Amino acid sequence: MRNKLAIILAGTGLMLAVAPAWAHHAFAAEFDEKRPLKLSGVVTKWETVNPHSWIHLDVKGPDGKVTQWMIEGGSPNSLYRNGFTKDSLPEGTEIVVEGYQAKDGANRAVGANLTFKDGKRLFMGGSAPGANGDGKQ
Amino acid sequence: MRIQALRMRASWLLVGAAGAALLSLAVLPTPAQAPYKAPRTKDGKPNLNGIWQANNEANWDIRPHPASQGPVYTLGAAYSTPAGLGVVEGGEIPYKPEAAAKQKQNFTDRLKLDPEIKCYMGGVPRSTYMPYPFQIIQGTGHIMIAYEYAGAVRDINMGAPTKAPADSWMGWSNGHWEGESLVVDVSSLNDSTWFDRAGNWHSDALHVIERYTPIGPDALQYEATIDDPKVFTRQWKMSMPIYRRLEKNAQLLEYKCVEFAEEVLYGHLRKQPLQGKGDSK
Amino acid sequence: MRRYVLSSLIALAVVSLMSAPVFAQAVVAKPAPAAKAWTMPRTPDGKPDLQGVYSNATTIPVARPAYLGAKEFYTDEADKVASAAQAPAGRGGRGGAARPAANDPEGGGTLAVHYDTSQFGLGGATVKRAASLRTSIITGPEGRVPAVLPEVAKAAQERRAYQQAHQWDSAQNRPLAERCITWGFEGPPMMPVGYNSTLEIVQGQGYVAIVQEMIHDTRVIPTDGRPHGPAEIKRWMGDSVGHWEGDTLVVETVNYNPQVVIQQQQVSDAAKVTERFTRVDADTITYQFTVDDPKTWVKPFSGEYNMVHIDGGLYEYACHEGNYGMANNLSGARATEKK
Repeated sequence: MRNKLAIILAGTGLMLAVAPAWAHHAFAAEFDEKRPLKLSGVVTKWETVNPHSWIHLDVKGPDGKVTQWMIEGGSPNSLYRNGFTKDSLPEGTEIVVEGYQAKDGANRAVGANLTFKDGKRLFMGGSAPGANGDGKQ
Repeated sequence: MRIQALRMRASWLLVGAAGAALLSLAVLPTPAQAPYKAPRTKDGKPNLNGIWQANNEANWDIRPHPASQGPVYTLGAAYSTPAGLGVVEGGEIPYKPEAAAKQKQNFTDRLKLDPEIKCYMGGVPRSTYMPYPFQIIQGTGHIMIAYEYAGAVRDINMGAPTKAPADSWMGWSNGHWEGESLVVDVSSLNDSTWFDRAGNWHSDALHVIERYTPIGPDALQYEATIDDPKVFTRQWKMSMPIYRRLEKNAQLLEYKCVEFAEEVLYGHLRKQPLQGKGDSK
Repeated sequence: MRRYVLSSLIALAVVSLMSAPVFAQAVVAKPAPAAKAWTMPRTPDGKPDLQGVYSNATTIPVARPAYLGAKEFYTDEADKVASAAQAPAGRGGRGGAARPAANDPEGGGTLAVHYDTSQFGLGGATVKRAASLRTSIITGPEGRVPAVLPEVAKAAQERRAYQQAHQWDSAQNRPLAERCITWGFEGPPMMPVGYNSTLEIVQGQGYVAIVQEMIHDTRVIPTDGRPHGPAEIKRWMGDSVGHWEGDTLVVETVNYNPQVVIQQQQVSDAAKVTERFTRVDADTITYQFTVDDPKTWVKPFSGEYNMVHIDGGLYEYACHEGNYGMANNLSGARATEKK
């Protein structure tokens, strides 16, 4: 299995042996595949920053206590090119996050799949409804 | 009779000359008052192309201030604050009372909080007067300003104004010409930059109108009108000359600076702490 | 977990292949020959006007898949698809016609512990690309980066071994891209990257300025024939000077910071990169480059691709300012060591 894996990886041109293709982000160090999670919460802030955007979420536990989570997402720049803006994920939106928790145990996770409560994925469908078309020059 | 006539003519001439002199003083503008007209680019605009740099103490503190001890004692007089006449018109920044208190707290905590220490981009207007050159590249439809500090860059849209999708460190710039001045409307600035090392700050409501006006072949007057209703009781303005870098091979060099900020940002997460004092090499 | 990763990668390769026609549909029509009814636009001071915002995204792989041999161009789109389908499976197999992952700054798309890049529009489906029938960015009969000198291979191997043992020791041990200092794709030579592969060119008096979106790095290139700066001043993007040869902008870059990596190799102080920019139609600039570092590779190598004009502008990519990942990664590494 290990050999086959190595061949496929080499063949895909990712050139894993040397830094640059992996260079940007070593998720293996940040998030733990052995800690999958599913969170349901309310957006308190969407940090539209690079290299990754971060969704701040208030998550209410079964005991009613609210904990604050930070969920890692992708660079927002391509979303802007598709007509989304910082207002496309307003405070108060309820979302569901499927992802993996941080290795250091903090209330941080990578959001492998982000959906609204009805299951529809965030940021899908090309241009956002009410997208700010003025953003294009 | 003839001599008397000549004398009279001479006196009249004298009076006339004096009058003309007085007239010229009173009516004609002196050369110093005539507005400077910069050479034009090939498409007829004032030519602002070049490498420029401020030469004042604004990055330490934009207000008038005396010299004072810097925040790192071991750097002694090499890193203490020089006196500055200030670049704020009127001298005072019209903070709301709670905002003024926050500035004082920023100052106290400046070693932890000043974004410059972390090599975060300087925003607008601070990037203009940080002690590093910047370069204006005047293109067709766009004017680019490249800053040596942190490799920041701004694209000034000279066409119909557009809107930003989100806030950014260097803001979103729409520009136009007003006579000899380049006027730039800067919006969608984030709240993470400061005006100087003294903790003078703003919110994400900051809106800046800049004016770049040539005042001579090698100098511009830079003005920035500051509007932030969350922090200030009214609009206010800063103003300063900016000078052309005249070296024959003048060019922007790199001050990426990330590599100089990593120890202060991430040193506490090292596998092994650095040998030695930890705050110096 | 390994099996899941493996099947994800296979799935990615298959999906990429199947989407090849979709990518083809998303591209601009092949540029018309320059001679037909098009004149070179000029800036007010008479130079070719290269200004604009461009996408240099591409699905062309950097290196030509081995099974294509010396074939530099597919004959047409159908040939491209047919070639990929006939490619030998496994090593080097699945062609390059539709492989954005090769330039993926995330290092692999659908790995399990990762956000879904397509959810953020980073998967390439909405990206404009210049049409091309090239089989690889690197030109010539071999279509791949040449071998390195034996001493370079040895030094690189030693460096890799050291890295394995120390890669999480500190921020300074991480790759330049993870530190948000510079991304390898920026060069020069500028290489297509998996997303946000955009750049802007503005020409002022005597200068051509090129900004690449990631990481907002700007080269302000003088075109007045001045010499390079002092050799003591090494730069992350090297020291570029340019001149016009007819209607082509030629840029030469030397004096790279010794930590700079080009095509997986740290370059030497002898490295020289030459770029050529030629506008070939209203929407397209042909970009050619040659990398010549006699202390690293046994011979120079060259590449070529087209960049295509796009609407809109660059968006700020304030990488260092938003780099939570660095602290998070180091914190995760420290936590893992404690176990």
